[in-house]
Amino acid sequence: MTKNEYIPFPVKILKKTNESTDTFTLRLNWLVKHEPGQFIQISIPGIGEAPISISSYSNKYLEITIRKVGNVTNNLFKLEKGDEVLVRGPYGKGYPMKELKGNNLIFIGGGCGVAPLKGAIDYVEKNRKDYGNIVLFIGYRSPKDILFSHKHKDWGDKFKIYLSVDEAAPETCYSGNVGFITKTLEKEQISNKNTVVFMCGPSIMMEKSAQILENKKFKDKQIYISTERLMYCAFGLCCHCMIHGKLTCLDGPVFRYDKIKDSKA
Amino acid sequence: MYLYRITKQDFSEFLANIKTKSELYAPIKTDAVRFQKIDNLDDIYLKTLPDFSVKEFFFRQREKLFSFNGNKVTVKIDKPKTRVFFGLRRCDLNAIAHQDFVFMEKHKDPYYIAQRKGAILLGYHCNEAPSKYCFCGSMDLKDCYDLMFWDKGNHFLVDVGSDKGKKLIDKNFKKTRLKVAEKDRKIKFTDRLKKKDISNLFDNPNWEKGAKLCISCASCTTLCPTCYCHEIKDETKLEDLKSGDRIREWSSCQLKDFSRVAGNHIFREPLLDRFKHRIYHQLQYFKERYNIEMCVGCGRCITHCPTDIDFVQLINEMKDE
Repeated sequence: MTKNEYIPFPVKILKKTNESTDTFTLRLNWLVKHEPGQFIQISIPGIGEAPISISSYSNKYLEITIRKVGNVTNNLFKLEKGDEVLVRGPYGKGYPMKELKGNNLIFIGGGCGVAPLKGAIDYVEKNRKDYGNIVLFIGYRSPKDILFSHKHKDWGDKFKIYLSVDEAAPETCYSGNVGFITKTLEKEQISNKNTVVFMCGPSIMMEKSAQILENKKFKDKQIYISTERLMYCAFGLCCHCMIHGKLTCLDGPVFRYDKIKDSKA
Repeated sequence: MYLYRITKQDFSEFLANIKTKSELYAPIKTDAVRFQKIDNLDDIYLKTLPDFSVKEFFFRQREKLFSFNGNKVTVKIDKPKTRVFFGLRRCDLNAIAHQDFVFMEKHKDPYYIAQRKGAILLGYHCNEAPSKYCFCGSMDLKDCYDLMFWDKGNHFLVDVGSDKGKKLIDKNFKKTRLKVAEKDRKIKFTDRLKKKDISNLFDNPNWEKGAKLCISCASCTTLCPTCYCHEIKDETKLEDLKSGDRIREWSSCQLKDFSRVAGNHIFREPLLDRFKHRIYHQLQYFKERYNIEMCVGCGRCITHCPTDIDFVQLINEMKDE
């Protein structure tokens, strides 16, 4: 009997962390080989299945960071430590970390797009000697949307980090930078030499960032973006995630920018 | 290889014989022409290309992937009896071959395999194009059948295409030195599609003519013998909300929901994009990935389009940029 690719299996939730008002992280008791940038299929029987990016890199557990935006994610939020979920995967092509050894890395993330980047950042922390300078440009809509704040001090010690929110109401007592993160990116002196950029976030942010990087003499081949599409099977059969012939689940979700830039519809 | 000859009378006996051992399916005309289980051989209707292909017999419109009770998952895949299909046209036989490629070669889909494995495919060769929209002659079709029947009036010429087919040859079949000329394997007047490389035509304004007429009804993808996009959903039992089934069901790229993600963003929202997507998947994307043309030129998507969109004509009218 051949392997039935649709069949999920149960894993236990080891920990649940609320990251922001609408986003939370589930730590799963699941030891599986994976690359940063890959995703898993997680489901609650009777509710349905959803593809979620892996947001950690550890040999002790696997974490996913989830925003409550739909049926499955709203119901996942109701689960607690000790509960079980059904999973399958991991799937897709992640960031080619090994191939990029020796490079400086720039991470540009927006909103819950920071989640898959965090997997790659965790990887870099574990393999710090393999990479040069690390710079993070991270943007959120407002102070209450900031994710992984418990990591910020750590990241600040090890890397250069720019954090900004699009807007901050006075009553939030937020004292950091305000404005689009792309503005910060535009202002900062960054060299394209031996440097690779990882991006994930709203498409408008990624397009704007790509434009800025182009002005800073970055080539499309130096940029990797992580894409989102509706998907069901996650192994190249259902075809819902197709972008001009490319399958997000097999060829992505991480694409080198030159390979996806001109893909229409 | 030699062919066989079988008279129409002996052919009826041959089919009757098949019916005693297995289930026989062939086109029957009711509200539409579709493949159905044959009880009475006189019901077999071969005058037109069946409106429905046999896709739904193998890649079923609705397939239970597994049952669940809480997080406990149970898989049960039922196998049908041996089924013999007669009346398959060259386009439909090739469509099955393409689905076999997707579900059995590129993937090992146990649900498809269970339905497909025992099936025996008997072709019925078109002497002429059964519809003015046929364009199988433009596509790269192959000979792929267990047996193929050429209608010669009072008898059939029969070609054996596989061991499965060979086993069916009985005393009713007489060896003959007659041959099917290479030109008779192709069907006349079916090379309508004049341009198959559409890679430079994506921004051609002619697509808008089609999109303008399209009402996004998904007839084209539903009747297409090669379309295989599907969605997955959970259905719970009303008497016990913890238990139910995970279902796989045909979907259509012509519908907005095809690319709608949580948060209500639709990646392929404009009708023009959806209209082009199907045609590009059929003629270009699949070939780029697997080096096989997905479309087999049956023309059902044109014949049954409620607004008469003829995408073949649209492409033929386009000028290369």
